[in-house]
Amino acid sequence: MFNIDQYAYSNRLTQVHPGEKIAFALATLLIALVAPQPALPAIIVALMAGAAIGAAGIPARFYLQLFLIPFSFLIAGVAMIALTITNQPLAGLKGLTLLGWTLGVTPASLHLAGKIFFKSLGAVSCLYFLSLTTPMVDIMTVLKKLRVPALLVDLISLTYRFIFVLMATVNDIYTAQAARLGYASLRTSYHSLGQLVANLFIKTHRRSQELFTALTARGYEEELQVLDVPKPFSWPFLFLAAGLDLVLLSLMFIFRRWTLWPPF
Amino acid sequence: MIRRTTWLTLYLLLAMAVLARPAFAMHIAEGFLPFNWAAFWFIVVLPFWIWGLRSLQHTVKSNPGLKMLLGLAGAYAFVLSALKIPSVTGSCSHPTGVGLGAVLFGPAAMSILGGIVLIFQALLLAHGGLSTLGANTFSMAVVGPFVAYGLYRLVRKLKGSMPLAVFLAASLGDLMTYVTTSLQLALAFPAQAGGVVASMLKFMGIFAVTQLPLAISEGFLTVIVFNLLAAYNKNELEELSILPEKTAAEGSRSRQ
Repeated sequence: MFNIDQYAYSNRLTQVHPGEKIAFALATLLIALVAPQPALPAIIVALMAGAAIGAAGIPARFYLQLFLIPFSFLIAGVAMIALTITNQPLAGLKGLTLLGWTLGVTPASLHLAGKIFFKSLGAVSCLYFLSLTTPMVDIMTVLKKLRVPALLVDLISLTYRFIFVLMATVNDIYTAQAARLGYASLRTSYHSLGQLVANLFIKTHRRSQELFTALTARGYEEELQVLDVPKPFSWPFLFLAAGLDLVLLSLMFIFRRWTLWPPF
Repeated sequence: MIRRTTWLTLYLLLAMAVLARPAFAMHIAEGFLPFNWAAFWFIVVLPFWIWGLRSLQHTVKSNPGLKMLLGLAGAYAFVLSALKIPSVTGSCSHPTGVGLGAVLFGPAAMSILGGIVLIFQALLLAHGGLSTLGANTFSMAVVGPFVAYGLYRLVRKLKGSMPLAVFLAASLGDLMTYVTTSLQLALAFPAQAGGVVASMLKFMGIFAVTQLPLAISEGFLTVIVFNLLAAYNKNELEELSILPEKTAAEGSRSRQ
């Protein structure tokens, strides 16, 4: 149902210890966020794309399509940062002037917008590396090891396990409604969707009671016990990841004067 | 030179109009906020998480079966956000479920469930992000539910009708979420001319195009859902009143 989840279980890096992948993704994400040079996030995008496509074996086409998802927000957000509306003269302001108000761009705003665009893409590529290579079940194991409160981990795992069940239910209800012209007009659409959401709530409620009954019958007490599959530490991955992050960090410190690249 | 920048301005406007589709427009994308602001919103949201978790731990201790209900409620909220509402303007948008969740489960549960839903939206659907999780949680799982729940209680206390209370809670909860997101973006990126206020107006302007119709659509939808629940599923709603905040049950009882 969710392609990302499917690849998380079937990629070539599934057997690597989840802690290593999480640490690598988060450390690189942090570098992308704090680096003052726009070139660094661009390098990170290339690096993470290489890791996801080359090392983990994610199809390049699918990977590129994923990058389109944040674009609608990114373009709108970046455009809002780049555009300035003012009735006062501003250094280097150029654009359309109407009735004394100018809608336009300044070199500084363009530079900032470009920088944020690259930074966001760099960060997104780190997120994708994590979500494409690490199954949610493994992430929960790591959360448990990190002593995250048991209730929170249980709620996360219950949520994850039932997303797919409820999604299937929604699809069935939707198909049945659509087959009976439930979404033929705006009016019927609202009515059908309302019925769908209300019914889904009741089904969710019933299911939670059944789950509790079933678990109680099997000796459930306070915590959900799930068997986790132990995964060995992979030294090559750890060395490679640490090495790459060190290279990125040193690039950040060596080229401190490059903060104005690319010069818009 | 002037011609070039005019074209650039027009191009940016066009790109905005075409690409600013309503799809999850309210989630701040991964890496969009500077490090300081991302960290700041995590710090702001932390007390709400602790408070929510404490409150849930208390609830679950007194009634262990509610843990399953809360876990499934998280899945329910995630699935809701993946649905498409036909919008009044003809396009489609995704409901946030902020109002419905707040009225059914109360704001304490929503701060945790909302956070969990946002993690899954980032990891499974690539909407939102990990570094902006704090900011997104604050707008969608703290401000939205608090406004929705507060309004619902207020209107009920003033003897307003149930549909009115639910409509206001759902639509204004939505609206305040988007105002908060605009504020977060404006604080991080103040405009060169006019500072935070001018920047906030800019961001609100772009979001208003998509979020205003969505808020109204979601208000209508939530009223329909609530009417159906109150008509056919009184028992389940009454059971929810075991949660510390007595919410839905009293609404459905007073309908009689």
